[in-house]
Amino acid sequence: MNAIPIPAFLVVAGIIFGIGAFGFLVRRNVLVALMSIELMLNAINLTFVAFNRAYPHNHTGHVFAFFVIAIAAAEAAVGLALVLSFFRLRKTVRSDEGDLLKN
Amino acid sequence: MSLWFALSPLIVLTFGGLGLMMADAFSKTRSDLALGSFLTFTSAGLFALALWIMGGVPAAVMLKVAPYIVLDKFTLFFTATICLGGAISSLLAGGYLPEHDIDRGEFYALMILAAIGAVLLAAAGDFLSLFIGLETMSLGVYCMTGFRRTNPRSAEGALKYFLLGSFAAALMLYGGALIYGATGSTSIEGIRTALTSGEFGTLRDPSRLATVVIAMVLVLVGLAFKISAVPFHMWTPDAYQGAPTPATAFMSVVVKAAAVATMMRVLLVAFGDKASSSWSSGWPPVIAGMAVLTMLVANFIALRQENVKRMLAYSSIAHAGYLLVGMVAAWGQGNEIVAGEGRAALLFYMLQYTVTQAGAFGALILCGSKGKEAVTYEDLAGLGRRHPGAALPFALFIISLAGVPPTAGFFGKLYLFRAAVDGGFTWLAIIGLLNSALGAYYYLRVLVFLYMKEPAPGAAQATPMKSGYIYGALAIAAALVLYFGILPGKALEMAASAGKSLGAKIEVREVPTKMPDTATAALP
Repeated sequence: MNAIPIPAFLVVAGIIFGIGAFGFLVRRNVLVALMSIELMLNAINLTFVAFNRAYPHNHTGHVFAFFVIAIAAAEAAVGLALVLSFFRLRKTVRSDEGDLLKN
Repeated sequence: MSLWFALSPLIVLTFGGLGLMMADAFSKTRSDLALGSFLTFTSAGLFALALWIMGGVPAAVMLKVAPYIVLDKFTLFFTATICLGGAISSLLAGGYLPEHDIDRGEFYALMILAAIGAVLLAAAGDFLSLFIGLETMSLGVYCMTGFRRTNPRSAEGALKYFLLGSFAAALMLYGGALIYGATGSTSIEGIRTALTSGEFGTLRDPSRLATVVIAMVLVLVGLAFKISAVPFHMWTPDAYQGAPTPATAFMSVVVKAAAVATMMRVLLVAFGDKASSSWSSGWPPVIAGMAVLTMLVANFIALRQENVKRMLAYSSIAHAGYLLVGMVAAWGQGNEIVAGEGRAALLFYMLQYTVTQAGAFGALILCGSKGKEAVTYEDLAGLGRRHPGAALPFALFIISLAGVPPTAGFFGKLYLFRAAVDGGFTWLAIIGLLNSALGAYYYLRVLVFLYMKEPAPGAAQATPMKSGYIYGALAIAAALVLYFGILPGKALEMAASAGKSLGAKIEVREVPTKMPDTATAALP
């Protein structure tokens, strides 16, 4: 069962986190940005759970992952509500078209 | 002392918030809710003060919730500051929301629930509770920002704030995960132990060291975002301008106070070891650089603003720069006396900033009424002659923001820059002083428009609104601004004692009365 070493998980998590961060910075569609944030949070979960294997005397990493899942759900709820209210008023979900507020 | 009493500020806020949500369903007039919210904040703040006067929470009680919640005097100080900011903001909401036809009860519940997150954030002694507090606070504040649902600016500000806020939170959380991997602990105290003792070989093993450094950078970015330091400030003016003004007041004081508390705890305690907090290889030069950049950029952009609310938003960013100067002074190159002075100065600055900035937004609310809002400088022209009662509080808070005696802002800046000089950062203090002079220009511009200009013929004029809640909020804020400006001694003393308790080891002094059985069995 212990065939896959910890660093392998960390690398995968790092790549997923990178994809999420890149997607967030590059894409202008707000929904894609939301998905990118979810991707980043899931990469964080993977990192926590993988690291927990190195410290098996307690479950800190596992517990942390559960809390992150719960918080990600709450964040998605608020985020979608805000996107919806933005869409109702502006008829767009592109972040570069939110240009009413500027210097 | 029971644990219930020790946690009373949080408990009062929780039941107050839930109770208001229930009351919203049954009450006919929403203004009762503003009063209820004010009383909730006041009583939570008074409970924190009571705990303080009783000498703080005893170590035996603190250990029951440590390390997740640290109930030291530092936490109590910030709890009181947060409750003060919340109390003023809820009174402002009680006047502002009915005037602008967005009088819905959720606002007060959101505000209190966000404040719970802020208190938890200030008290967090573990990355787990830190993150929960951060998100509880942020989610509430995102909703408050987008509260004017029919206003496209409000929706846009909230969306920008939400996207960048969640991104920064994710970066910070990844930093927390890496720290956990490198040190095996998520608690602030545990991280410090691992970094100082080198038990895990943290500083000898290059891959662990690299992980710690990356983690520190990620956590720093997340924190810098929350206190809106340059270059992570882009969301601030938009969110502040789009949000209803009481929410802006709440964001600029409560969120900033909680973020400053976390920043102090994370940087001074978790990353307070010799290597991470040295000028050559640690966070202090980064913070100092960010302080300079924040002050300069914010003040220069604030000069060009025509919108008063946006100017106040940039002024809030500039104050984040001064707070970062205090952060460097609170590090004090590891010298305990200097660091103590720096921490006291930083905490006092945060306290005076809370009343001043909340008051300034309150004065801006007072100067406008529905359809005749005070938006630009031009709208304020001649207000001092037409409505001296509305212009006077604005003038008071503006001179306190500029740091002119006899107001709180003067002593805040004085102590802060003195602490920086004592810590050997004379150059930083000089840059700070020059920036204050720059800031005085756009602050004084408000006074010029209030008292020396006349409105152009036919131009829209702001008409002050009438509301007992706003008068009450401004009276409280003005009284405190003058109190801290004339008699700062008591508050500074409290700030010093709060700063001292940060990072102190929680130990029970009592000797165990009975030897454990295993120990006696081992004896011959």
